[in-house]
Amino acid sequence: METVFISQLKALLDAVAQQMVVFTPTEVGDSFTYARYTHDGEVKAVLNPVRTCSPAKEFLFPMREIAAVFPEAISPEEVQPFAVFGLKDCDLKSIQILDRVFYEEEFHDPFYISRREKMFLISSDCYDPKDTCCCTLFEGRVFPLKGFDLNVSKIKDGYLVEAGSTEGKMFLHRNERLFADAPSAARAERDRNRQQAQQQLEQINARYKLDRKVEEIVLESQDSPVFDQVATGCVECQSCTRICPTCHCFYLFDTQRENAFGKMKVWDSCVRQDFARVAGGENPRKILGDRTKHRLMHKFVYFLERYGIHMCVGCGRCVDSCAGEMDFRDVLVRLNRELVNIKGRS
Amino acid sequence: MCEGSGSQKDIYLPELATIRKKQKFTRLEMYYHVELDSEKELGHKAGQFVEVSIAGIGEAPISISSSPTQTGFELVVRNAGSVTNAIHNLDTGAKIGIRGPFGKGYPVDELKGKNIVFICGGLGLAPQRSFINYVLDNRDQYDDVEILLGTKCFEDRFYVDEITKWAQRSDVNFVETLDVGCDQWKGNVGVVTTIIPKVKTDLSKAHVLVCGPPIMYKFVLMSLAEAKVPKENIFVNLERRMKCGVGKCGHCQMNNQYVCQSGPVYRFSELGHVPEAI
Repeated sequence: METVFISQLKALLDAVAQQMVVFTPTEVGDSFTYARYTHDGEVKAVLNPVRTCSPAKEFLFPMREIAAVFPEAISPEEVQPFAVFGLKDCDLKSIQILDRVFYEEEFHDPFYISRREKMFLISSDCYDPKDTCCCTLFEGRVFPLKGFDLNVSKIKDGYLVEAGSTEGKMFLHRNERLFADAPSAARAERDRNRQQAQQQLEQINARYKLDRKVEEIVLESQDSPVFDQVATGCVECQSCTRICPTCHCFYLFDTQRENAFGKMKVWDSCVRQDFARVAGGENPRKILGDRTKHRLMHKFVYFLERYGIHMCVGCGRCVDSCAGEMDFRDVLVRLNRELVNIKGRS
Repeated sequence: MCEGSGSQKDIYLPELATIRKKQKFTRLEMYYHVELDSEKELGHKAGQFVEVSIAGIGEAPISISSSPTQTGFELVVRNAGSVTNAIHNLDTGAKIGIRGPFGKGYPVDELKGKNIVFICGGLGLAPQRSFINYVLDNRDQYDDVEILLGTKCFEDRFYVDEITKWAQRSDVNFVETLDVGCDQWKGNVGVVTTIIPKVKTDLSKAHVLVCGPPIMYKFVLMSLAEAKVPKENIFVNLERRMKCGVGKCGHCQMNNQYVCQSGPVYRFSELGHVPEAI
């Protein structure tokens, strides 16, 4: 794929912003969240060293959206093209996961699709992973190989920009006056940076290495008491599922405005006590430990069975956000240890 | 950017329908005959369900209780929450929204030529009736047909005229029981498992379809195990919170299954790896 050099990030984002609205990471405390980019410098062009705090799903599957209006139906086709800058490999993977769900067979979600088709994805390499980042445990990397339109890598004197799609290539061609050739020394520097960040991340996660495939460990731990034990720290704030870039459970609720009725899609959480409760009052997962288990099972087992890929991208957002300080990596290690001990005994 | 999407049909948009008939069945259950305003047939299979919308109030999954062989479709709605309460307040002529039909339904073709035993408990009669009437409308395609029905008390019986006719048919063995007897009731008294021995066919070779409240499954399945019914020949109809109906929202999920897509009717032998099922 085509790779070019640009000395300033601002020039790149300004060029994108001439064509469409751009959302870019902006610093809030010690993390990043997205803001609408403005070329006047109010929202600066900054390359986030690590994934943002908020998940990319917000752009495709907003927290609250209209899913249907009747009797006069609305068309979901009015979305204008938009770009999101600063996505990481984990974010791109999360979008691929959501694509599986919302593009499924005969049940296409037109609202997700209308946004997805207008989204221009500009990813970037991670150069300073957080302690909670753990994509390397789940076959992830600190830089993306696919799934982006453009990918940006920071080097000493500027940035390398790689096109990953036809739209990305077209953008580079249209704006070729902005770019210079990428010298091989710059590419070598980029590769060294990537290797370094990858090693840094592997070191962070060395103590969470599992003896077997994560899906086997979780599935075989079906009857483990560990889920109930870790659930004692859970305060059911549901932040893990809200901030998770792949959690996509939602609630449909009906609303009315004058003579129009609407169905809203609102994020929901399987951690919530009444999530699965049926009208008669029966609740298949009334115990918190069962809901904790369900979340991990869905991430590592059920989704894999249904779609052939894991639902966890190892971004670590749930670890950052957990009010009960639960780190799912610790849970997996405990389950792993428990299985090893059982095997050792038998 | 992402390429081609195919259909842009809104899967969350209900279709307008009109209540053509309404009848109070019991203190909690109301009967509805519904037709789509498009004048098209719903095109459902026995055992499927629809999402019934009341504009501005909400949506609830309701089993279709009529056979695909009749025009329009029927619903029996128990007043169990805000949406179903609102449905109860609607009169004949009222507009409702319908999404669906959803789910997999009964193995209508697979069971042709087989001996079938229906075991229904309470409101479980409603979804089962869609297949019972299909079988009765195509009676020559099925072998022995037996229907066991258990209801809590005399006042809770519904579709009474119809089940009276089933009882009179010579080509159906219909057995009914009430959990609690009363003066008006001259028939069997006891839970539905107590009438399982009244099945005439060899249960171990029959196909058994079970639908009722959660507690009923436990005991009926124990009885069927004793009667040596192979798990492959047992079909259960499960209740879960089917919210979106299209396998996305997660509410009806039990282990790796989305009940709104792969259920609500399941072959019991396929639930071995679904501990959350029963």
